[in-house]
Amino acid sequence: MKVLYSEIKELVPRLKASPKEVGEALTLTGFMMDGFTEVSYKGKKDYLLSLEIRQNRADCLSVIGLAQEVAAYYNLKLNIPTVKPISKNTKKLDIKIETKKETKRVLAIKIDNVKNIESPEWLKDYMSFYGLNSAGLLVDLSNYVMMMTGYPSHLIDFDKTEGSICWSINNSFKEITTLLGSVTKLNNNEIIIRDNNSVLALAGIIGGKTDSIDIKTKSIIVEIAIYDRSIIRKNSRSLSITTEASRRLEKDLDPNGADYAMKMLVALILKYAGGQVASSLFSYYPKKYISLKIQFDKELPSKLAGIEISPKDTLRILKGLNFQVISKNNKLTVTPPTSRMDVSLPEDLAEEVIRIYGYNHIPTNETPCLEIVKNITPKNIVLAEKIRDVLTSLGFDETLSWPLTQKGINDKFNYSDLKEITTQNSVNDLFPHLRQSIAAGLLNQMTEYFKKGVEYIDIFEIGKVFGESGKNYLEHESLGILSATKNNNLPQFKDKVESLLRLLGFENVKYFESKLKPRISNPESCWDIFVNNQNIGILYKLTPSETKLNIYFAEIDIEKITKLLTSVDNNPVVELTQKLIPLDVNIELDEKDSIFEYLDNLEKKINKKNIWSINIADIYQMEEKKRYTLRVTYEELSDKEAKDTHLKTFGSNII
Amino acid sequence: MTEEQVKKLLEELKSDLESAESSTATTKLWHKYFSDTGSFKLLIKKIKDLPAEEKKTTALIIQQAYKEAQELFTEKEKSIKGGEMSGNIKSQSEDINLIAPKIGHLHPISKTIREMNELFTSMGFSIMDGPEIETDEFCFQRLNVPADHPARDMQDTIYIKEPDFLLRTQTSSIEAQVLAKYKPPFKIVCPGKSYRNESVNKSNHFVFHQYQGVVVTERTNMKDLFGTFQVLFKKMYGEDVVTRYRNKYYPEVEPGVGPDMQCFNCHGKGCPLCKGVGWIEMGGAGIIHPNVMKMAGIDTKKYVGFAFGLGLDRWVMAKYKITDIRTLLGGNLGYKYYENESII
Repeated sequence: MKVLYSEIKELVPRLKASPKEVGEALTLTGFMMDGFTEVSYKGKKDYLLSLEIRQNRADCLSVIGLAQEVAAYYNLKLNIPTVKPISKNTKKLDIKIETKKETKRVLAIKIDNVKNIESPEWLKDYMSFYGLNSAGLLVDLSNYVMMMTGYPSHLIDFDKTEGSICWSINNSFKEITTLLGSVTKLNNNEIIIRDNNSVLALAGIIGGKTDSIDIKTKSIIVEIAIYDRSIIRKNSRSLSITTEASRRLEKDLDPNGADYAMKMLVALILKYAGGQVASSLFSYYPKKYISLKIQFDKELPSKLAGIEISPKDTLRILKGLNFQVISKNNKLTVTPPTSRMDVSLPEDLAEEVIRIYGYNHIPTNETPCLEIVKNITPKNIVLAEKIRDVLTSLGFDETLSWPLTQKGINDKFNYSDLKEITTQNSVNDLFPHLRQSIAAGLLNQMTEYFKKGVEYIDIFEIGKVFGESGKNYLEHESLGILSATKNNNLPQFKDKVESLLRLLGFENVKYFESKLKPRISNPESCWDIFVNNQNIGILYKLTPSETKLNIYFAEIDIEKITKLLTSVDNNPVVELTQKLIPLDVNIELDEKDSIFEYLDNLEKKINKKNIWSINIADIYQMEEKKRYTLRVTYEELSDKEAKDTHLKTFGSNII
Repeated sequence: MTEEQVKKLLEELKSDLESAESSTATTKLWHKYFSDTGSFKLLIKKIKDLPAEEKKTTALIIQQAYKEAQELFTEKEKSIKGGEMSGNIKSQSEDINLIAPKIGHLHPISKTIREMNELFTSMGFSIMDGPEIETDEFCFQRLNVPADHPARDMQDTIYIKEPDFLLRTQTSSIEAQVLAKYKPPFKIVCPGKSYRNESVNKSNHFVFHQYQGVVVTERTNMKDLFGTFQVLFKKMYGEDVVTRYRNKYYPEVEPGVGPDMQCFNCHGKGCPLCKGVGWIEMGGAGIIHPNVMKMAGIDTKKYVGFAFGLGLDRWVMAKYKITDIRTLLGGNLGYKYYENESII
């Protein structure tokens, strides 16, 4: 919303503050100044202030509304222009309101014998400040009153209408040609203003061409109507038409204020375009809006602000904003003006007091006095931070990628049995799906690095992955790790992933051939990662790519491993006097058999009392078989006892 | 055994030692002279067989010769071993690799979040997260934004299934989740991704990062909120940072606050970065709206709270001098420390 400094000054005559100071005061009280321009208006130097209007302050999309704020802030009197009452006429207008539920108020009046001449220069200039083209005197005056009061009005060329004028829900017109000449297709559920034959306007949004004012217009109907804001918002969105009128009417405009705006507009038309009032004032107002009475604790502003705001200041500010205040038994009953439909709670009143008192009176340099409370940080957040530390220490760079992906990407990278989730309305229609794996983003990043000639690429990302199961949308935090090298590097990559897991406290890490393999993986090099016998992720080599790099990827479900986090209960300390006896044994397994399954079975069978650890020390590839050297380390036994135990457990396989 | 013979044996040893050039040779000499069958060892053994009258003089000569022989031998052995060792040092020496190793880096967003988390955890805040696929209830309704409320225009929503399921448009949804699930008092911060239905270009993205803070205790107020912001701004932008706090509308707070920082580029004079106004908007904040508290079942007579939300991406871009938001989110970040990055 733009406002001229001279307009505010006219309404607040004792204002001494400079244009810039006024802009700063409005900024402080909730209307941020985002533009300040020197202009010339009515032959004098003036300033145009551009202000961001709060979403819930329809009353401030007007010069009078903003002047009220300025007057309250500087504790000055507001002089609202007086307007003449509308002269009496007994002739009734033929108007029907079918949209009783959607329409809060309609005012309409007929004026005959008007002359729609060119606007005077000051009015043309005024229109230009608001970015509006001058469209003849009558339309310009209508727009002028909208800027002054905040109420949009609509002018109908009476001679172009047939029969009665009716507010109804559209169910017969397929399209409307707007007064700007563009044709808009209708959806059959908009509020329209129509006569017997034609659609005259999209109510609250834009007028139609059929009844529009032109240079020959002699007889007009002026209407001001207030609707249920949500209908205007919906119609404006669905038809993709936003106008100065719709911007105001999709907010809560006070139906009571329409009278003043109508009086002002009629008076201005009669003054500048001539003519006479030719009907009685039509008024549809089934449910008069009255203000709420709010019980208010005078101490509330001080309590919320954290500084002392005296009851005297509170009263001054509320009265300055045109709120009625009744003080009884040390309690206040406050009635806001009906234009302040945003104020309904004591906290709303407290905000009014504090913002006009000035946020700049609240000190910023005092240490906040916050209560001591217990730590409720979930473990997965701590774990993710630890992962970042470990992986950067292992030489990996962290990246972030898009959680939305292109079509076909999830098909390649998914290894879960969940369905892909698709967005309904994303403007980025090339990226309609939520990712099911971190891999795609890392692969894109890798390609970027590769293009830049980076030779060794080690990257990771922590983020959400998504999937649908039945009617549930699921998501979990996931860690993706990718390495790309010219040489074969899978064992080293696996070692880094496992180092991470071990540093996080997971001892029991195992790999089994993946049950569900992503299409992008080399099916011969794809393993599920197990920790404490639970599948927590996947590790695979990607199928060969154009880059000719060897690309390895691992993904770990952070939420799953968070649940597996336990404190380490074994004692890792070896006493100086303690003897550890490592003894080896060879195990031959078929190619397809898993050493981890063998170890699982072994652990179930043997007495683990004196066993410090069992590790795979070596692997030797044989024809159709693999030979594993296991190193079993015994504790708290003599050499002979250890050898005997070893022999008893492993028999002739001992080396 | 004459003194002559002892001297001769000593001379023989000297000559042998002189010609010895390796530790193998000295080992052989040790056997020749000092093993159980070695010449000097045999001499020593013979002492006990000497006639009594010779024992006094000859034994002394033998013992002295034996000692001298041992000293000569040890000296030679040391010298040979030393020589051999210096030969080994050379053959076993290694050169250092002059190629710099690759080191890992955190993403600038993570680094910034970490810095902020450190500050807030030092003030006793917990860190929280919440779902990115949200319901209309938690993203809007519980934050006092009913259906068709004008405030929804501020946030273009990406829907998964209209009207109920969407991608969260703000980290305030985490606030709604925490208010519903935890009993006050609590102090939390929630860094996280948010989504808006925007086309991707140099300065806009459909995914961006926010940092939400929520405090609900028996006593707090706007002064605490401003103080908290000031601590944060000073930590992130230095002691000289100039701020202002103005009234701003957000449906989930009442009173609402807009914290601004004086433009670091023009120091308030107005420049293209701050669109000529001299200030940069840092986010939104305020005292939690009583409707929000009541919807979460929190007794507003007992508890009061404040909340704030900050956009992270622009902070990070300014700090690391990144000009294209696409670089920050899945573009190409370099393998180096960034300008202004403090390591410790």
